[in-house]
Amino acid sequence: MKCLELADVSYRYEGSTEYVLKNISAAFDSGKVYTVVGESGAGKSTLLSLISGLDVCKEGDVYYDGKNLRELDRDDYRAKCVGVIFQGYNLLINSTAVYNITLSMNISESEIMGRRAKKEAAFALLNKVGIDRETADRKILYLSGGEQQRVGIARALSHNPDVIIADEPTGNLDAETESEVLKILTRLAHEDGKCVIIVTHSENVTAIADEIIGIHAGNLIAGEKYRENSAFHGENGHERTKTIRENEQ
Amino acid sequence: MYILTNAMKNLLRNKGRNILIAAVTLVIIVSTVVTLTIGNASSKIIEDTRLRIGSKVNIDVDLAERGRLEKTGGMPEVGIDDFFSYAQSDYLSKSIFSVQLYLYSSTTFAVGDDSKGQSEWESWDGSSKSKAATIMLIGSSDPDILSDFFTGGARGIMPGGRMFGGLNECIISYDLAELNGISVGDMIVTTSIFVEPEQTFELSVVGVYSDKTEAWPGPAYEDANFFLFNRRNEVITSLETVMSRGFETDQGMEMHAEYYLKNPDNISKFEAEVRAKGLHPDYSVSINQEELDEITAPLSGMAGITSTFMFIILILGGIVLILLSFIAVRERKYEVGVLRAMGMEKAKVAAGILAEAIIISVICLFIGLGIGSAAAQPIADSILSGQVEIAAEETKAKSEDLKFLVMNGKTQFIAGLHGYTPISEIQVELDAKTIAQISMIALALAALSGVIGIAVITKYEPLKILRERN
Ligand SMILES: Nc1ncnc2c1ncn2[C@@H]1O[C@H](COP(=O)(O)OP(=O)(O)OP(=O)(O)O)[C@@H](O)[C@H]1O
Ligand SMILES: [Mg+2]
Repeated sequence: MKCLELADVSYRYEGSTEYVLKNISAAFDSGKVYTVVGESGAGKSTLLSLISGLDVCKEGDVYYDGKNLRELDRDDYRAKCVGVIFQGYNLLINSTAVYNITLSMNISESEIMGRRAKKEAAFALLNKVGIDRETADRKILYLSGGEQQRVGIARALSHNPDVIIADEPTGNLDAETESEVLKILTRLAHEDGKCVIIVTHSENVTAIADEIIGIHAGNLIAGEKYRENSAFHGENGHERTKTIRENEQ
Repeated sequence: MYILTNAMKNLLRNKGRNILIAAVTLVIIVSTVVTLTIGNASSKIIEDTRLRIGSKVNIDVDLAERGRLEKTGGMPEVGIDDFFSYAQSDYLSKSIFSVQLYLYSSTTFAVGDDSKGQSEWESWDGSSKSKAATIMLIGSSDPDILSDFFTGGARGIMPGGRMFGGLNECIISYDLAELNGISVGDMIVTTSIFVEPEQTFELSVVGVYSDKTEAWPGPAYEDANFFLFNRRNEVITSLETVMSRGFETDQGMEMHAEYYLKNPDNISKFEAEVRAKGLHPDYSVSINQEELDEITAPLSGMAGITSTFMFIILILGGIVLILLSFIAVRERKYEVGVLRAMGMEKAKVAAGILAEAIIISVICLFIGLGIGSAAAQPIADSILSGQVEIAAEETKAKSEDLKFLVMNGKTQFIAGLHGYTPISEIQVELDAKTIAQISMIALALAALSGVIGIAVITKYEPLKILRERN
C-alpha cells in the first residue's frame, strides 16, 4: 500500500542557486524498509527533511496517504504521522531520557492516558532499545553517543507513527546494538506495517532493506542502477557487503 | 496541561538563568510594592484632606481686588439672612456659622482689665463716653467648636461641667471663672455693645474650659493689653442664643460662615449660585487651596519622590529584563527547535515560554508583596520626616505674611486660629487597589520577557534553528 509519494520534487536552500535535489519522484509503501544511500553531501538528509515535513519542497509535491503535505498541518503531521531519528539526535539535553519520550507522547496526544502509564510505556520502549531504567532517568547530557542515539530511536517510535524516518540511526552503535535496532526497525515494517526509511552509509543496514534508493548529486538513482553505478554486484546484501569490505581493503 | 508541567520543569532545569531573572523581577516588584503602597496611601490621605479641608469655602472680602480698584471705606454688608440662604445650596454638605459680639459687664470682669469694668470709650470729639466692651461672646452652630473648630484640641471642658446645649447656656474659660469666682451653675449678666438695639444676655454657665491656646492673636495686642482680644475672655454659646435676640444685620457684630462643599470641584458652581443670590463682587469665594497645599506638602513631596523612584526602577529593570530575555532566548533556540521538530505547535511553544515567565512573576509577586509591604512603613516614615522638615522651613518663611493677614481681615482672623499642621504621620497598608496595580505590573513584566522570547523564537522554522546549532 502506497504510503508516501514524491512527485517531481526539487529543492534548493534559501539563498543558494544550486538545487540540492532535482526532479525526484519516488514512492514508499507501508510494510517495507527503504534505505537511502549516497555520498556525503548528496542530499539525503535534505530529502528526509522534506519527507518528515520539517521543510517544504520548492517544486513538486510530497503526498502522505494520498494527501498533499502542503495542505496538511505540518506540525500535526510531524507530531502524529512520522517519527524522525535525527542524525544529530536532537534531544532535550537538559532533560532525562524518559522525559524526552513522555514529552513526545504528550505532544502527539498519545492515546496512553495518565502520567504514570506514559512513563511506564516510555521505560518499556527505552528498554526495547537497550536503555535500562537507571540510564533512562539520567539527563541526556550524561549519556554516551550510542545511548543518545537509542533514546532518539525510542522517541521516534513513542507515538506509534506510520512512517519512521532515520538519518544514520546506527552510526554510533556497536555491532550487537546495531543488529538489535535493525531487528526492531524490520519488525516495525514487516509486522506492524510501518513505512521505514533509513539513510545510511552502513552496509549492515542496506542488507535489511527491501528497497534501496540511491542519491547522487541530487538525482535519484533507482536501486538496480545504483548497484551498477556503485560497482555493487551479487544477489544478496551479504555479498554486497563483502564486496565493499574487499574494495576498502 | 503538559505545557504547564514542562514549563515548571524547565524552570528547575535552568536554575541559574531563572534565578537571575527572578532576582531582577523581585527587585522591580519590591520597589513597586513599596512605592505604590506609599503613593496610594498618600494620595488617599491627600484626597481625604482635600474633601475635609479643601471642601471648606471661604467667603472673604477680596482685599487685593479692592486695593486694585482703589476702593476705600466700609466693607459691603452681607445680611444675616444672606449667610443663611447661601447655606441652602445643594452643593454643600454642611455649614457652620459663628458670630462674635462684643459685650460689657459691670459684674463680670475681663481677664487683664485692671479697671474692673470701668474702662470707657471716648467718642472722637470727647463729647460722650461709654463703657468699653471687655468680653467677646461667640455663638456657634457647631457644638464641636471647642475641640476642632477653634483649637485643634487645646481646649477642653473641665470636670463638673458640660458643653452648652439649650438656650442661654454658655461656657467660659478657667481664667475668667477664677478671676470672677464663677462656678458651674452661676449666671453671668452682660450687655452687648456696638449693636442696635443694645441687648442684655443673661447666661447660665454650664461648663468651664481649660485653655492652652495662645491668649493673644499677636504681640501687638499683648503690648497694648487690648484685653478684649484676650482669648481667655471668650464666652461661648450657641448660635441660637445670639440669634434669638433678633438682629437684622451684622452691623456691630462679626458673622462668620463656613460652608463645606460635598465636592471641592463644585466651587465655581457654588460661587455662581451665591452671586445669583446677591453676594457683592468685593467678596471672593474660594476654597483654601493654600492651606490645603501646606497641609499636604510633605505627602505630595513623598509621593513625588516615590513615583520618580518607581519610574526609574521600572525603566532600568525593564531594560535589564529585556537583555536577560534576549540572552535566555539565544540559549533556548535549540530546545525550541527540538520541540518544533517533534511537532509542537508554535502557539504551544509560545504558551510554554509565557507560562515560565508568568510563574516566575507570580512567585516574585508573592515574595515581593511580603517584603515590600513590610518595608513600606519604615521607608514611608523616613521619607515623610524629611518632607515634614522641608515643609516646616517653608511655612516658617511664609509666617510673616500670614501675620499681616491675621491682623487685617476679620475672616482671616478666625481662619488663622484653625491651627492645622502639615501631615507628619502616615499609616501605609497594602490595599486591594495596590495589589491589583502590582499584579498588573508583574503580569506586564512576564509579558515583556515572554513576548521577547516568543517573538524571536517563533520567527524561525524548526529545521533552521536546529541547523544553526549544528
Ligand atoms: N542550510 C544550507 N544552505 C545551503 N546549503 C546547504 C544547507 N544545508 C545543506 N546544504 C548543502 O546541501 C547539500 C546536501 O546536504 P545534506 O545534508 O542533505 O547531505 P547528506 O546527503 O545528508 O550528507 P551526509 O551523508 O554527510 O549527511 C550539501 O551539499 C550541503 O552542503
Ligand atoms: Mg546527512
